[in-house]
Amino acid sequence: MNTAESAVAAVNRFGLGAKPGELGEVHDGPGWLGAQISSGADGAQLFAALPSSLDYLKRESQYKLERREFKQADNPQRRALFGGDAMKSGVPNATVAAAETRKNDALPPEVRDIQAELRDDVFAEAAARFRLAATTSTPFMERLVYFWSNHFAVSLDKGPARLFAAPMEREAIRPHVNGRFADMLLAVETHPAMLRYLDNVQSIGPDSFVGERVSARLAQKGDDNKGKAGGLNENLGREILELHTLGVNGGYTQADVTELSRAITGWSTPVPRDFDPDARGGMGRFRPRAFYYNQQIATLPPTSAFVFRANAHEPGARKVMGRTYAEGGFEQGKAILLDLARHPATAKHISLKLARHFVSDDPPQSLVDRMTRSYLEHDTDLAAVYRTLVMSPEAWGEGARKFKTPQDFLISSLRAGQIDVGDNPKPLLGLLNTLGEPMFTPRSPAGFPDIASNWIDADALWKRVQAAEALSQRVALTNIQPLDLAQGVLGPHLDSETATAIKRAESMQVAVATLFASPAFQWRV
Amino acid sequence: MATSIQGRISRRQFLGGTLAAAGALVLWPKLTFAATGSDTRFLMVLLRGGLDGLEAVPPYGDPGYQQIRGALALSPQGSNQPNVPPAHKLDNVFALHPSLDYASQLYAQGQFMPLVAAAPPYWGRSHFDAQDCVENGTNEPHGAQTGWLNRCVAAMPGVEGLAVATVMPLTMRGPGNVTSWSPPLPTQVNPILLQRLQPLYAADTRLSPFFARAIDSQQNEPVAAQGATMQGVGIGKKKANLGQLPVLMGAAGGFMAKLDGPRVGFVEDNGWDTHANEAAILNRKLSELDAGLKAYREAMGDAWNRTIVVVVTEFGRTAAVNGTGGTDHGTGGAMFLAGGALRGGRVAGQWPGIGRSELYQNRDLHATTDLRSVFKGVLAEHLKVSDSVLESRVFPDSGKAQPVEGLTRAHSAA
Repeated sequence: MNTAESAVAAVNRFGLGAKPGELGEVHDGPGWLGAQISSGADGAQLFAALPSSLDYLKRESQYKLERREFKQADNPQRRALFGGDAMKSGVPNATVAAAETRKNDALPPEVRDIQAELRDDVFAEAAARFRLAATTSTPFMERLVYFWSNHFAVSLDKGPARLFAAPMEREAIRPHVNGRFADMLLAVETHPAMLRYLDNVQSIGPDSFVGERVSARLAQKGDDNKGKAGGLNENLGREILELHTLGVNGGYTQADVTELSRAITGWSTPVPRDFDPDARGGMGRFRPRAFYYNQQIATLPPTSAFVFRANAHEPGARKVMGRTYAEGGFEQGKAILLDLARHPATAKHISLKLARHFVSDDPPQSLVDRMTRSYLEHDTDLAAVYRTLVMSPEAWGEGARKFKTPQDFLISSLRAGQIDVGDNPKPLLGLLNTLGEPMFTPRSPAGFPDIASNWIDADALWKRVQAAEALSQRVALTNIQPLDLAQGVLGPHLDSETATAIKRAESMQVAVATLFASPAFQWRV
Repeated sequence: MATSIQGRISRRQFLGGTLAAAGALVLWPKLTFAATGSDTRFLMVLLRGGLDGLEAVPPYGDPGYQQIRGALALSPQGSNQPNVPPAHKLDNVFALHPSLDYASQLYAQGQFMPLVAAAPPYWGRSHFDAQDCVENGTNEPHGAQTGWLNRCVAAMPGVEGLAVATVMPLTMRGPGNVTSWSPPLPTQVNPILLQRLQPLYAADTRLSPFFARAIDSQQNEPVAAQGATMQGVGIGKKKANLGQLPVLMGAAGGFMAKLDGPRVGFVEDNGWDTHANEAAILNRKLSELDAGLKAYREAMGDAWNRTIVVVVTEFGRTAAVNGTGGTDHGTGGAMFLAGGALRGGRVAGQWPGIGRSELYQNRDLHATTDLRSVFKGVLAEHLKVSDSVLESRVFPDSGKAQPVEGLTRAHSAA
């Protein structure tokens, strides 16, 4: 591979696609990537103004508390909406739905303001992400951020996780993108997005203090423990093993899933009453805070978006993957996660996924093995694994190429066309949705697929042509020479037929659309 | 969206003029009827995430049911959940979830049939492996790189398959003649741009067949499908009450009702993984499925009488309710069959019982029917795929999964 080819592979396959002029600045592909591994991702300032997860939790709590206060207040308007016969069974669903809508419209302005603000924040998060994608000068790092975000997939489809999906990427992925996998794993599994997405906030150890209280209360009522709060949920435990660490063939059993799920009972996020000074010390209808917390933090407002609820934690030693972990509260689950991170099956699983993402759908085994060794020798240090990847000849071989996912396609178009993302991300979000890769909304916790056969299809190609047209209309066409643009983006991979089609285009806009819609532009080579 | 001058030439005019002349145009096969001797239709609907069969088809007559299901238990006498109407009674053991109104009407007409305690041959409780197994049609996940429904299409000369999806799902991947469709972007594509892209794509061996198909299926878009619009585009917008499924199933019906339309169709849906708050989620999701069945039945018109629909999921869920008002990944589940060609109006499958001692690994409903037994029964009786093709190509090594017989009216009349 000559210099020009290594530059274009570094920029288009390892990066996010060339900005005009970028290819000319790269003289040594592996060197350019190595510098990014050392420097880390740029663009932190674009996220500086965005709220933290703790801020989001506080405002969400405020919203819930005010809404509840309004519901409880005795006023005729409220009674009409919340207390009337409309909510009784037997009334058609449509009537109930209409009442629900009116209910929200009738909320006092300060409550609706919080709701609107939170909604705006979700779009501000998306806008910042698009803006950085379009402009970053460390695109290899940025691609890795997206890779890990998809590895630890959460979805906006799950209402309670919606506010936290983008913050999880900023708070749990970015800081560790060239650090240790073990640290990233722990940051993700303790983040409100993951804890809510995979239901761990609701999981309660059956023999914990809270679990026993709940069972006792239900028994008193003559109710058994079915379908009520107060039990184990193994959703997060299973996906940690199957998706986040060992992989589906990583050698774990149902017993390991259950044991890990028990170990992480109590891993949770603050709830509204934790932020409410009146509720914290008092009894009333709220239970005292000590019911939920370790003694030492019982009277303090939460300072983190993660809380460990000792009283919901299943007591006792746990056995996972043949190792026994003594009871130790939060430390027990943490110790298991760290061992899972260091497990050879995890090393293999992650090395294969990385190699597949950057090299080819079916990457050379020798490359995967070398990356696996590097991961284990460097105690889960991702920078070492990335260096092994970019220094390996297999990463630059003949067969190395990837088909762009819809997000790759969109971002590389934004970069090539220097499209101004602006403050309203809605059209771009709509486009990603239609192309089949809605932002932070994979169809399952496995994330979006990463092989070509999942993305290449008649309908998908047709939609790309339509999207190419729409995007070309947003390119500022002054001072653009379409053929120069194409050369600047595709480098040596601009074939003469594509060049001819672009040259012959009836207008600048059609020329740009032809570039974006061309088969050459659909590949990361 | 600004319209260029070229954009005013309609896509249809352009395609009719240029591509037909270039010989690139392939119409839906006209020889379907003659080639196979009958003109039946088959639609598969895959519910991804693991539908809880014990909630969709509550076995209220099983003595163990109330005890193990507790708050989530449903019955024709009313339910333990507030604001949930009684389930539709099917027989002395089984009922249908209250959201499945239309399905219960079809049941009364003999055009709907639940089949209980079914599962793919893989019982490992991973969504992705279980779905892979359902889709590839072998004994295990990753047992084949192609889908069984595609291999079925490939075995039927002159028949075309349709997947209502943006990208081809595994079920429909393979050598058979299959195309995909999903609701359109509201954008007219500049026909000149298409013209210029044609030779470029023709030179890309990996992409060229798909591009040719894209152009082809755009031309053949039926009226019903053109009426379908994208719903729930972007975040922050309220999704339409009945979700995507009625739109997708209605569109599938629009294509499949045509005289020379695809005879085999595939539709998929997500959001069935009910680990928490299951009652509310299933009330909504099963309403979507119910509306989907109705939309498909209406779009099919008279062709409904020649149609069988099979609705499947990758696994059932735990018999007991978990600590969060939901259920975790399990084994035996329920599937549904519908259609005018079906001999329905009954509950099929062998019920293994739901008492504590009857459960698989002390937690899940046992599976007594391999999903492939049902698929094989439908393919044999309804699509007239021969036994030897079924055993060798569509479902290799599936000897243990004997086809379920007597699924169609035609077969039982004969």
